[in-house]
Parts: sequence; C-alpha cells; structure tokens
Amino acid sequence: MPKHILLALILLAGVSNAYARTTPVEGIASKTPELKAFTNARIIVSPERTVEKGVLVIDHGKVVAVGADIAVPEGAEVVDLLGRTIYPGFVEPYSEYGLESVPEIERNKSRQPIYAADRMGGDAWNDAIHAQEDWVRHFKPNKKAAEDFLRVGFTCVQSGRLDGVLRGRAFVASLGDGLPNDLVINPQSWQFASFNKGSSPQAYPSSQMGCIALIRQTLYDVDWYLQAHAAYSENPEQAMPEFNAAIAALANVRNEGFLFEAGDDQVTLRFHRIATEFGMPTVIVGSGHEYEVIEAIKEAGRTLVLPLTFPQPPGVKTYDEELDVCLADLRRWERAPSNPAVLEQNGVSFAFTSRGLKNKEDFLKNVRKAVAFGLSKETALAAMTTIPAEICGVGNDVGSLVTGRAADFIVCDGDIFDDNTNVLSAWTHGVETNLLARDRVDFGGKYAFEFEGLAFELSVEDNYPCVDRRLSGKLRTDSLTIDLKHVKEDGARLNFTAPFDTLRDYYCVRFSGQRSGNTLSGRAALNNGNRVEWTAVWSGPLKDKKDSESSKAVDTVLISRLSYPNLAYGRESRPPLENLLIKNGTVWTSEDDGVLEETDILIKDGKFERLGKNLEAPSGYRTIDASGRHVTAGVIDEHSHVAITGNVNEGTSAVSSEVRIADIVDAEDIALYRSLAGGVTMARLLHGSANPIGGEAQIIKYRWGSAAEDLKFTPAPPSIKFALGENVKQSNWGDEFKIRYPQTRMGVETIIRDAFQRAVEYEADWAAYNALSRRDREKTVPPRKNLRLEALVEVLHSRMFITCHSYVQSEILMLMRLAEHFGFRITTFTHILEGYKVAAEMARHGATGGAFSDWWAYKFEVYDAIPQNPGIMHEQGVIVSVNSDSERLQRLLNQEAAKSVQYCGMSQEDAWKMVTINPAKQLKADQWVGSIKPGKDADFVIWNHNPLSVYAKPEQTWVEGRKYFDLDQDLALRESIREERNALIQKVLKVSDDDKWKHHKKKKPGTSHYPDKSMSSQTREGE
Amino acid sequence: MRKFTTLLLLLLLCGAAAGHDYVPAPAQSAPILLKGGTLFTISDGVKPGFDLLMVEGRIAQIGDNLTPPENAEIIDVTGKHVYPGLIAAGTQIGLVEIGAVRATKDECEVGRVNPDVQSHMAYNPDSEIIPTVRSNGVAYAQVVPTGSMIRGRSCLLNLDAWTKEDAAEKLEVGLHISWPTVAVRTSWDEKRSPEEQKRQMAENRRKLAKAFDDARAYATAKAANPDIDIDSRWEALLPVLTADIPVFMHAGDRRQIEQAMQFCNERRLRMVLVGGEEAWKVTDLLVKNDVPVIYARSHSLPMRSDDNYDQAYKIPALLHEAGVKICFGVESTWPTRNMPFDAGHAVAFGLEKDAALRAMTLTPAEVFGVAESLGSLEVGKKASVIVSEGDIMDHLSHNVTHMFIEGRAVDLDNKHKELYRKYRSRSIE
Repeated sequence: MPKHILLALILLAGVSNAYARTTPVEGIASKTPELKAFTNARIIVSPERTVEKGVLVIDHGKVVAVGADIAVPEGAEVVDLLGRTIYPGFVEPYSEYGLESVPEIERNKSRQPIYAADRMGGDAWNDAIHAQEDWVRHFKPNKKAAEDFLRVGFTCVQSGRLDGVLRGRAFVASLGDGLPNDLVINPQSWQFASFNKGSSPQAYPSSQMGCIALIRQTLYDVDWYLQAHAAYSENPEQAMPEFNAAIAALANVRNEGFLFEAGDDQVTLRFHRIATEFGMPTVIVGSGHEYEVIEAIKEAGRTLVLPLTFPQPPGVKTYDEELDVCLADLRRWERAPSNPAVLEQNGVSFAFTSRGLKNKEDFLKNVRKAVAFGLSKETALAAMTTIPAEICGVGNDVGSLVTGRAADFIVCDGDIFDDNTNVLSAWTHGVETNLLARDRVDFGGKYAFEFEGLAFELSVEDNYPCVDRRLSGKLRTDSLTIDLKHVKEDGARLNFTAPFDTLRDYYCVRFSGQRSGNTLSGRAALNNGNRVEWTAVWSGPLKDKKDSESSKAVDTVLISRLSYPNLAYGRESRPPLENLLIKNGTVWTSEDDGVLEETDILIKDGKFERLGKNLEAPSGYRTIDASGRHVTAGVIDEHSHVAITGNVNEGTSAVSSEVRIADIVDAEDIALYRSLAGGVTMARLLHGSANPIGGEAQIIKYRWGSAAEDLKFTPAPPSIKFALGENVKQSNWGDEFKIRYPQTRMGVETIIRDAFQRAVEYEADWAAYNALSRRDREKTVPPRKNLRLEALVEVLHSRMFITCHSYVQSEILMLMRLAEHFGFRITTFTHILEGYKVAAEMARHGATGGAFSDWWAYKFEVYDAIPQNPGIMHEQGVIVSVNSDSERLQRLLNQEAAKSVQYCGMSQEDAWKMVTINPAKQLKADQWVGSIKPGKDADFVIWNHNPLSVYAKPEQTWVEGRKYFDLDQDLALRESIREERNALIQKVLKVSDDDKWKHHKKKKPGTSHYPDKSMSSQTREGE
Repeated sequence: MRKFTTLLLLLLLCGAAAGHDYVPAPAQSAPILLKGGTLFTISDGVKPGFDLLMVEGRIAQIGDNLTPPENAEIIDVTGKHVYPGLIAAGTQIGLVEIGAVRATKDECEVGRVNPDVQSHMAYNPDSEIIPTVRSNGVAYAQVVPTGSMIRGRSCLLNLDAWTKEDAAEKLEVGLHISWPTVAVRTSWDEKRSPEEQKRQMAENRRKLAKAFDDARAYATAKAANPDIDIDSRWEALLPVLTADIPVFMHAGDRRQIEQAMQFCNERRLRMVLVGGEEAWKVTDLLVKNDVPVIYARSHSLPMRSDDNYDQAYKIPALLHEAGVKICFGVESTWPTRNMPFDAGHAVAFGLEKDAALRAMTLTPAEVFGVAESLGSLEVGKKASVIVSEGDIMDHLSHNVTHMFIEGRAVDLDNKHKELYRKYRSRSIE
C-alpha cells in the first residue's frame, strides 16, 4: 500500500530537493546549504539503539550519517547539542490534521427522517460511506495545528477525515511547513472505518448492528462489483452494472483492510471478528481499557492504536457528588494508566495516539504515567516511533534515525520520560521548528551580590524547566529583605526590578543579566537614568529540590479489583464446574412428571444426570440440602432486549433482515446479573419492533462474566424478529413520521409479502446463475449477494424461524395466512395480546404464543388485552410463554406466570411451564433446556418458596453446573464493593489535585426502542 | 357495550366520554353481615372467625358470633380474608385512558408552576381501567396530576361512582411538586457539561423557591388588604403555606429528598415524600421531620449501578424498620391493580405482613386525612370492606369476591372478565 515516492531520493543524497519539484521558482532561488552536523548529543537512533555523545549528520532532509565516531563532514554547519537528547520524531497514526472536520450535525428531531441520500458522482447509496474519498486531495497544511503536534514531539501524522462508517483513504504527511506536495509521505494509506455514521443525515443505519450490516453488505458488494464489471466487459450485450466510485475504491479491500476506530473493547472484538470473517488485515483504535479483556485482545492479535485519555479523577470531593460516581468509574480512573504495561506484558503490539486528548500537552504526561505504571521505555518509544511508522506504511521513511531516513527528529533537554523534560525543537525533513529557546537556563539559586557598596544575598526561585516559567526573587541583608519585582526570563537573560525605597525614596533599579558559569552579570538602570555594570556569584541551590519531587511520585499500587465486566458485581473468575447431589427438594420438572416432593437430583458435567428418591452422592459430588426448598429449571425469557449494545432497532427501513443481534451482544450489561438473581438462565435477545421485518435474534445463556461470544447459545436454529401494528406503521412516532411505507396494517401485509416474493425470485436468480457453465458464468453479470433477502430465503426454507411482535387479531391472522401462502409457519407470536381471540387459528397453524401477563391500555392496539389471554391460548392447545420485554420485569417472570393462576385458574404446573419448557420450545431449544430431565443442561434455580408465590426468591441460580448467583455470595459481594468503593474514594481524595471530573460519555443505552423519537407512554419499557 | 366495543373506542378516541355498563352500586338498603371471616382489622390485629356487621354504610359491629338484625343479608365468608378497602396513593386513574393516545390524556398540564390545577376536574369515573383495578381490591385512589415542577393538587376518590362528585372522598388532598433533578448526567445523549447542568439545576430550585416567596408575599398583601386582585396560582398555595394541606414532594435521589425537606422546614410546610428510592439513606431525617413516604418502586430496578440487586424491593422494609411511615403507591393507571402484589413482594424482602397491609389502608388514610372514616375495620368507620378467598398479597391466593364501599356492594366485573367470557364461549363451540 505505501508508495515510496521519495525512496529513490535516498540514493541521491547530495542532490538538491529543487530537482524533485514541479513548482516553478518565483524570485531568487534559495540555495542555502542544508548539510548540518549535530554534535555532542545523546542520540536515540531507534528504540533499540542509543548513541551517547554522538553525531547526527543530515542533508536535504535526510539522515546522512549517525553514530558515535562520525566525522563531521567538511562544510557542514555544526550545531553543538551538549546536554541535549535527540529522538526520532514521533508518528501520530490517527488524526484529522490538515483537513476540515465535519461538525457533528444536531439532528433536529422535528424534521422528517431522510431515507434516501442526496447522490452525486457515483457515490455509495448510503451517506455514511465515503470510501471513494482520497483525503490527500483535501490536504492543506495548518501551521498552528502542526505546532500543537510538534510541541509534544510528533513530526509526522496519518490523517483522514474522521466521519462516517467507511471514511475514505487516509494519507501520511510531515508536520513541516510548506507545500502539501512536499509534505506528503504516503498519499494513500489506510481506509479508515468506524461504527459511527457521523454527519450522515440519512436515517440508515441508526444502530451499531446496522453499521455492521452496512459494512458486511458493502464488502460483498465489492466482490460482486468486480465480478459484474469483468463479466460485462466480456459480454457488453447484457444490462450494464452500475458505476460506483465508493465500491470501486474498495477493490483491493480484502488485502488492505481498514484502520478501524473502536474506542470500546467489545467494539474492538466485534470488528476483529468482521475482519476475520473477510480475511482482512486491520489495525484498531482501542479503548485504553484493554486490561479488562486482555485475554481476548491477546488472542485477537491485532495491532492497536492506543488513546492515552486517562480518566480524570471521578468527582467525589464534596459530600454530594459521590452519588453520581459508580465503582466502574473509580476502577477505570485508577487502572487506565497501567493499560499500556498490561498490553506490553501480553505481547500486544500498539502505537500511541494523542487523539481524544483535550489538551495535546497531556500526551507526554500520560506516556510518562504509563511508564511509571510499568511500561518499558523501549516499548513506549516504539509506540511513538517505529510501530506507528509501520502502521502508516512509512517504516522505511520515518520512525528512526537510521541513515537514509527522513531527518525528522526532536531535540529535548533531557530524557523524554522525565517529568521535566521539554521538546526544545522539532525538525521535519531537516527544517527546524523552534519551540523553546535552545539556550534557556535555570536561574534558581543563591547568589552573592554587591551593589552600591552593600552586600546582598540574591535568591532566585525558578520553576525551570517548566515551559510555563514562574520566577521570583529576594535581596537580603542581615537587617532587610527586598522582594524583587518583574522577575522574568528571556532565554539566557534574567530581568528583575529591585525597589530600594527602604534605603532611599523612589529608588527603583532595573537589572538585566546573563548567566555564564557561576556568574550572573549584566547592567542595571538607576533612578537617574545611568547604566551600571553588576555581577552576582552563584553560591548554592535554594533548597533541596528532590524533597518536593518525591512527594509528587505517582502512586502506582493498584487497590481496585479487576473483574469482567469491570464493574460492581462483575466476576473475577468463572465459577467452577461442580458435580452435585441436590437432596430432598420439591422438584418442578416442567415435564409430565410435574412437581415431585422430596426428590434428589444428580448433576454431572453440567447436565442433569438422574432424578429420584434417596440418591447417594458418588465421590466427587457436592451435596446441597434442598429440604424445604423448591428446585426448578432456569427461567427462560422468549423476548428480551438486555445485553444489547446501542439501539435495538434498525427501524430506519421497513425491512432490515440483514442486521443481526449476534453482532452486538453486550456482555457487560448488569441486567444479566440482576436477572440471574431473579432465576433467569436464558433469553432470546430480539431486535425491536420499529419495522415489519426486523433483524436476526440471538439466544444467550446467562453466563455472567463471560465475553459476548461465550454468552451465545448456538445449538438452536436462528430466528428473526418481525413486527406488526402501531409501531411498524409509526403511529406513535410523531407527526413527522408519516412518509415511510407502510402507514397502515394493509401496507404491513403488502410490504412483507413483497419482501418474501423478492426472496423467492432472488433464490431463483441464483439457481439460474449457478446452473450456467463456468464459462458462461464468467460472461454473465451475477446476481448481487443480498444479505437482506438471504435471511428471508432462510425463513422460506424453515431454516430460520419467526417470532413476531403482534397485538391484534387481524394482523395475527394476516401473517399466518401470508406464511401459509409461502409455505412456512410462524413459530411464535411474541407478547401477543389478542391471541385469545384467534387461539384456535393459531393452534391450527402451529403457532405458539408469548404473552405479557397483564399489560394493557398503554396504546390503542392493547385496549383489548386481557390477563386471561395466556389461559385461553393454553386451553386451545397453543404453547404459551410469558415474556418480559423488560429488564425490570425479567427478574420477576415467576410472578408474571403466577398471574395466570390468579386470573384464570391455570394449574400451577402449567403456569410454571410458561417460563421454562414452553419458551424453550419456542426457541427450539427444548432438547437442551427448559426442564429438569436427565441429559439436559443443568440450568436450575433453588427457591426459598413455591416459585409462583409472591414470597419466593431465588437463593441460587446455576447454569450448566456452574453457580452464577448465590444469595450469600451476593451479600459478601455487597460488602466488598462497599469497601473497595470507599478505599478508591479515599485514594481519589488523596491524590486528586484536579477539580474537574471529566465529562466522559457513557455508551449508548441498549434499550431504546424508538430511535428517532422518544415515545411517551406509561409503559415505555414495553412495546 | 360488548357488541360495540370498537365503536365505543372510536368515540373515545374522538374525545367523547364513553361510558361502560358496570352500574355503580346503590346506597346500602339493608344491614349486611359478613360471617366467619378472618378479619384483618389493621388497627386491632387479625381476628380469625369473626363477624362484621355493616349498617347504613358504616361498620356497626365487629365480634365473635354476632346476632344479625332481622332484615340483614348474611354472607358466609368463613375462611376468607376480610380487609378494609385498599387505598392506592399516587395514581393517574381516571386522567389517562390510553397512554399513547393524546386525546385520552389529561394528567399533565403545560408549564412549571401550576398549583391551581386540580386533578378531579378531569376525572373520568367511566374509565375502563377503574373496574379492573377495583376487582383486585382497590377501593380508593388518590388521583395525582403529573408535571415538571409544581404539578397541581390531588384528590382522593372512591372507585365506584356515577360522577366525580359522587366519588369524592376528599377533593383537596395536597399539592404535588416534582423536585428539580439533581443528578449530573454523563450519558451519551447529554450535551451539557456537568457545570452547566449544576447551574440549571440550581436555577430550577430558585424558580421553585420564587413561586413560594411570591405566594407568601401574596398572602401578606392579602392579609393587609383582602380585596387585592386574585392570582389563582398564589391563591391555590395559601392552604399549603398554612400547612392546612401537605406538599407531596416527588423525589428519589437522596439530595432531592434532603433539599425538599429543608425547603419544607424553612417554610413550615407539611411534607409527604413520593417515590423515595433513596429515602432509606435518610430515615433519621424522615422520622425527625415526621415525613411519610409513598413508595411506588417495589418492582423497580436498582437506582444506581452499584446498588444491590434487591435495593428497590427492600426499601419498604428498611423504611418501616427505621420507623418511617410508608404507603404503597402506583404512579400510573392500570398497574394499580398490582399494588397488593407490590406489597407482597416487599414482604418477600423483609417487610412484616401487617405493616404491608397497613401501608395500603390505614397509613394512606392518615396521610390523606381520612383516618377517622377509612383505613381499618373499626366500628363507626365507613363500611369499605373487601373479601378475598385468601391472602390478598399473593397471586396464588388472591381472589377478591366482595367489595363494599360505604356498605354498597360493588360490581366486581370488568372489561377483561367480559372479554374472557366472550372469547371462551367462542372456543367452547
């Protein structure tokens, strides 16, 4: 990818740059010699090689020679850098330098949504795709912005506009001043990408899963596009495939990949999975908190770009603020500086970025902090030089000071990792940008000073080498102290004014002097306008500086715990797999056996092994006495939106079957733990109900503390969410939402019918294409792979199953008849509320029903909802579950089931099945879960009471023979959370000298059903 | 009605008031004896196997083996549970019919200073929701306006009436204030800086204080000159300033509760706390200032991410143990029918059963100032009594078979039971 345009020049060292340019000379041509030798400096050639007291020779923007025993070439300008250190200039791998950034648009909620992009130039259908952009064409050097980078040591940046999902191609340029033509090092580096649609006004995608689907479809489109155009050039008599600049620009994407901005660990891992799916390389801009998932990051093996945005101390200083701070904030504040060290210890390669820092000056401060927390200096240096240079494809141009590389370096007044070290000047392609006077001096100390016949002690306080200089001074005799005024430095010169009024009236003397060795000498202006010479002799330091510094040392001892997720109630390790004998419980089997009193259960290797009376525990089995307790299968929720990142709806298109909840499972949702405490062990995570055809669902087990991939329950076949009624026709979305088809239940039918018809035809097109001979296929434009329709093809063949949000009888009948027309069946009508009106038809069709126990009256279509609904459907032979659709209610599904006992006298055994085996059947997972039966997964709950009673609560919740919730452990955890929290607050109070609790944004919540319009309803958690 | 459901609903959507056909019970005409029930008197313990006699709308006698008057109707409730009719605090019953249909919503007036707004003005006694709530034992509801700061005033109504005037138990219960928010938001959609948020929050508190200061100035001016022009807002605040009616402060965050209490102390207002998620953190102050809590979050998620999973469940127990007076409330409409189970759930998490029952009966009666006539089974009080097959707080035993409001035998049928019968008859065919 990198094109080493300048590579040839290295061989031509000595030849003037002028020959490498097209821009004509106006006026007099400059021929200032460019050969320079920097002597006596400590030279860091590369992270691995340091030369003490070396010589660096540069010419025409290149390193000509470097080493300890290099002779200064004849004719070279010599720059003596005694006491200074030279580092290779740092490379910033992720910036928007030299480009106009797009301000994030304020989405006006009262405006009509934009469903179609304003197209031009053969760009992509979606406004979040800018892949056709070559950002180098928009590059305009910006001196002021460059200086912010140079000041902290960067001499080179990779830059692209950070806007949209596929953001276009970045470039690499020097931070010097001049024509862009001379500054570009690599005109075409990475394609940038993210899951953030940025300034795109287009409605789609409105969710992270939509962004992922968009990327996935676009990558398939690239394959198709190349194939289609190749076939068309073979045979121009067929219909011409479209021109698409964005897709054409991605022609080589499988080899080139993306530099992807994640900013969150789970997003990092998600993009890693996509890159793996398409066999692409990728570099990922990380979160800065990779220590939380270090094993997964290590396994992914991707190179990272690391932000150094360490959180500010959380606001706990006053009595009240603490309430707004959670343990996770405190932990992240404490541990973030150790992140680079943890990555280093785990062999993960990374570069640093200053991106995200409000104040670029914090970059070096935070690198130093990372080193204090255990990062080696070599790795830190590599993360600023060689690694970012490699990432940017300019490893042969910059990043080290080997002969032939660019003369990009910085001169410092000490070790870059020392707190007080400054970057004095930055050199880009042999041209200096002076940042701080190279000759600046420390004036601090005591001086013997004689003036006008009086002997004084002059003492000067100087915060050298701080950039923001603060100086003060005093003149003392035995009897008298004079505070100096206007004490200012000016490079090597010190100016101050002494008011001698105590000696004589109106007698102010202005001094100016230079430090040279032990003397400070110069001239002074007297009250009569005369100028006189003066000299002061250094007699010693003011006080021991070390004392004050050691007290400022960073406290690197970590006291916070590290769990996954890294928040209160996260797990520090996976619970052990146990073989168990559960004695004497009242066992609710959820099978034909019903409820068995005083029964024992054997559990082995995560499965139920045996049920019976008076069983003995084989060796290695732990016995749990369940006398007086009730043991049930784990509760299963057919309809849930917990543990989903971002918007649960891609409701911006009426049909969005290409999106998948599997892509955005959020393993860090505390709702999982809270629901375990309510006995839940499995749920189906669903797309929302904003459109008729939603997205693919994902079943999870509540293995709290596992990463997203390990939460997924994979044996069951896939399912997809459909929706009907008021939500999909946007009835309650506000007046601006009246333009999308469909707006009526009539239109809901036609759009679903049309989608399936297209899927039928899509499949036929492929069959026809695949039937062609290989030679004919090469000459034929193939059908475009369409993920949206492919999901529906799966439905048509009953390989993917529908769960459909539904309320009223007309739409229920409609969908069943439509499915019958296409030859498949609706598996589940989820939270169906008028199921009782068409229960017989559902039973005949073979549909099952999920239900809210007693919700109603929150919108017009639920005005006929009744709490006896599950009872009637059950009587008619429909398999009925009670579902939550709410993280709040999910914890109380046992009580929700009990309502059918209350309202229509359902038997307790049948009621209990509504939250165990029946949802398992609806999920087509009943061969593995849903009842206590030998061979099934040991997902179970021990209750203190009849589980249907309002007085019942789970004491233990187990998933596959591992205990994920235990009431006693929970009590202990509360105590430890309290202690840890208080200890961390004390630590913040001890070390914090920053008043500002950084306004760090939290992730988008995962529960909003109404992306474009918040819906006012009494029961907003539901649909 | 049954045949014309759809038509009626359409009428309702058009803004027309729709009636249903559950006829309010006529006044009690003859004595009624409830025989042999387990009486949960609330004020005097549990009395198994007792009789209760209702005459002319009042509880006339409670005793073991009462001799009924000659013309008395005798209802055998042996083994059943007898309670005072439940009183639900905090609801919007009768103000909202269908949450998503704007034409059916009358609970929230525009503006931030609306002390003159009164909930009973909009109460619809024919709301289809009311019979469904009633049939789970709730006989009275406080009807509360919502809003962003000074919401308006609430009333206490019985749930079986022809008109709001027939329903009125007390039309002037108290003033309701949503205490300004105090929490600094850091969520992704919050654009304001913490400093800016804090400034705005302080500004909101100033605006609230200003309203009360203005009302005080109005009161002073009016004392000096009774003929000054009437400002309906400050006029409405007069009984609040004199503590003749309490202020119901809707607040959850500890800081809100502390601020609200200080506000009321400084102005000598009578305060009732509504919501109260973090009331458990300041129980000493609540007890000291005699502030009762209407708790409406029995099934809520924990308020903060570090909170215990059962934090919301156990708050009633924590408050009760600390000596704070509690009422169960429901800040909604149809979910009011679940109030008995909210109470039961609080029992599962540590609240004593008798305290849970008191929090739905006598304590709200005290808070609303109607304890002399409601809230317990005591001779002389209004005969507002319910009978359940068993424990009213558990789904497995809850089955309300009778409700009397002032001795009137209330129809316990409702739309849901009707539809159940209707569609069950279809499935039987």
